[in-house]
Amino acid sequence: MADLLSTQLLFAALVTGALYGLTALGLNLVYGTMRLLNIAHGEFVMLGAFAAFWAFTLADIPPLVALPFIVLLTAAAGLAIYRGLFRGLLRNPRLAERIESNSLLLFFGLSIVLQNVAAALFTATPRALPYLDSIIRIGDLGMATDRLATLIIAASVALAIVLFLRFNLLGLAIKALIQNREATQIVGIDVEKIQRTSFALGFGLAGLAGGLVSMLGQITPFMGFPYTITAFVVIILGGLGNLGGGLIAGLLLGILETYGVALTSTNYRSILIYGVFILILVIRPQGLLGGRRIAR
Amino acid sequence: MKRLLAGLVAITGFALAIGAQAAEPVRIGFSLAQTGLFAAAAPSQLNAYELWRDQVNAAGGLDVAGELRMIEFVMYDDRSDPSEAVRIYEKLITEDQVDLLLAPWGTPHHFAVAGVVEKHGFPMVGNSAASVQLRDINPGNIWFPTSAIPDLMAVELVAMMQSQGVTSVALIANQLPFSLEIKQFLVPALEAAGIAILVNDEYPPDVQDMTAMLSGIRTAAPDAIVALSYPSDSVLYMNQAREVGVNAPFHFVLVGPTIDFFAGMFGPSLDGVVTIGHWSPYKTEWARARPFFDAYVEKYGTTPDYLDSALAYMSCEILQQAVAVAGLDHDRLREVIALDTFDTINGPVKFEGVSNATTPTSFLQFQGGEAHLVWPESVATAPYQPKEAWPQ
Repeated sequence: MADLLSTQLLFAALVTGALYGLTALGLNLVYGTMRLLNIAHGEFVMLGAFAAFWAFTLADIPPLVALPFIVLLTAAAGLAIYRGLFRGLLRNPRLAERIESNSLLLFFGLSIVLQNVAAALFTATPRALPYLDSIIRIGDLGMATDRLATLIIAASVALAIVLFLRFNLLGLAIKALIQNREATQIVGIDVEKIQRTSFALGFGLAGLAGGLVSMLGQITPFMGFPYTITAFVVIILGGLGNLGGGLIAGLLLGILETYGVALTSTNYRSILIYGVFILILVIRPQGLLGGRRIAR
Repeated sequence: MKRLLAGLVAITGFALAIGAQAAEPVRIGFSLAQTGLFAAAAPSQLNAYELWRDQVNAAGGLDVAGELRMIEFVMYDDRSDPSEAVRIYEKLITEDQVDLLLAPWGTPHHFAVAGVVEKHGFPMVGNSAASVQLRDINPGNIWFPTSAIPDLMAVELVAMMQSQGVTSVALIANQLPFSLEIKQFLVPALEAAGIAILVNDEYPPDVQDMTAMLSGIRTAAPDAIVALSYPSDSVLYMNQAREVGVNAPFHFVLVGPTIDFFAGMFGPSLDGVVTIGHWSPYKTEWARARPFFDAYVEKYGTTPDYLDSALAYMSCEILQQAVAVAGLDHDRLREVIALDTFDTINGPVKFEGVSNATTPTSFLQFQGGEAHLVWPESVATAPYQPKEAWPQ
């Protein structure tokens, strides 16, 4: 059995947790503000990864330099989808009532379309990036530079978003919309603008996560789905729409996975994750940190 | 006037029909996993098919018992679903009435369509399938050019480890049919050889982190590490084994190292890694090996997969050579494929029952970025080199 006190395990748990948290954050923003279930979230992670791959392969732009552009690109794609598919639905009160189930279907379709368009454009051949592949060693701890960079960026962006939501006026308005949609409209907040911003931010974060994972593993048109699933597990654990809760749940899931596996066997990964997931849903249906005000 | 026009049209149509008949292409049908679970694996096979078709057509066409005819593919997407492949092969044979068949991707799909070709008595040379159960398939209409069959691989891998003086091993396996089948034969073979299994672990296909497992291997410090892995977890293994600092002089990684992106991603870290494969472009005795490799790289800008692309191309070569002798008649074709010896990029191939009886079960090792055959010594293109510690 692996040494539970080893810094190697801690590092692994933090990297996994930070990535889970970041992936879930974007999904949570879109769900929290508009009650849209974005099943295509993982596909935007995939698009972010491909954007990083092509920037590196065709223009020699390293993924870390390309990241801001990838975020802008996926955010713009998010905006286009918002305008094209959802603005009308959200405006119409009758349709807005059924938005959760309708959005699930719309995004499901979108995810299939995106996978197959990516497969047609880029072929399904797996690809990967040789970037930041040196190892930093401190005593017994080895850290691949790309994983360290992923940890630092994911953690700082997540922290920045939390601060933005707490101290920035627009951020506060997003939080207000998540907490109480009707009241937000009554006090004169521009709901349309908040929705737009959340959409762009949510999709931009998916692109960011994609840019980061492009450095870590293989890139294929079908790589997105596991990210969608993990992100859903994380935001349900943390409380749907509870952004801080989602981040903590992501970290907890990373720790649970790494240490749970170290204590038992890699075999039990899925049993551990989904076992704890079901257990928490039974004990606290609103999620670990979800309050009554969120779960509606 | 109308009658005259109609007559002209009829005559022109007739002339066109005759013209078309003279140049009628040979239609070759197959299904591939273009979407779904195996979509990422299938291009290496399709690329080999298309390269072969283009080469044959550029050379004037397929020699059908003396007559040159262009090749035309009839291809469908089986969405990675074996039952869909069954429907497609039924359709290819009965509705599309193709002249010849090529194989779908992967073991489950081969099993699924074996029944269809058997039912219709339609001979098909398989390729990307490997399982001991293949030998249970009725011989007659399907053949498997691979020599990477799990029971033979287990025996040869242990023999290779023994030749390197390996006394202890850490074994980790992805819980997928092919890797588990190898493990099923490998564990008793290791025990029989007196090689101590210090770590014996399995992991699910969706594994995200191996740190705990690899830390255990580092503590155990075995002479050899055998990772029965698939491409995405092979990437994870390579990354994290380096990070955790798991080193062993004998390092085996099952599926992945011979896929093009792997060498690009890992560069010098890949050197010393041993993997599955019985074909190498560096085998000069196989005159067709290097030209295939070069043509593939030129056409696609990537290296062929040493297993799937090579096997897919071999199945085309076997079919081509059989058709040159037998034409398109199924009975005659079946007889020729079953009895003749074929000159392929992997050297001579002759079948016994459904299996390739000539190609030995072999292993490749990366040396200076090149995949060389290192085992058995009778086919080796370079001597085996113990793996050095991972570069930092």
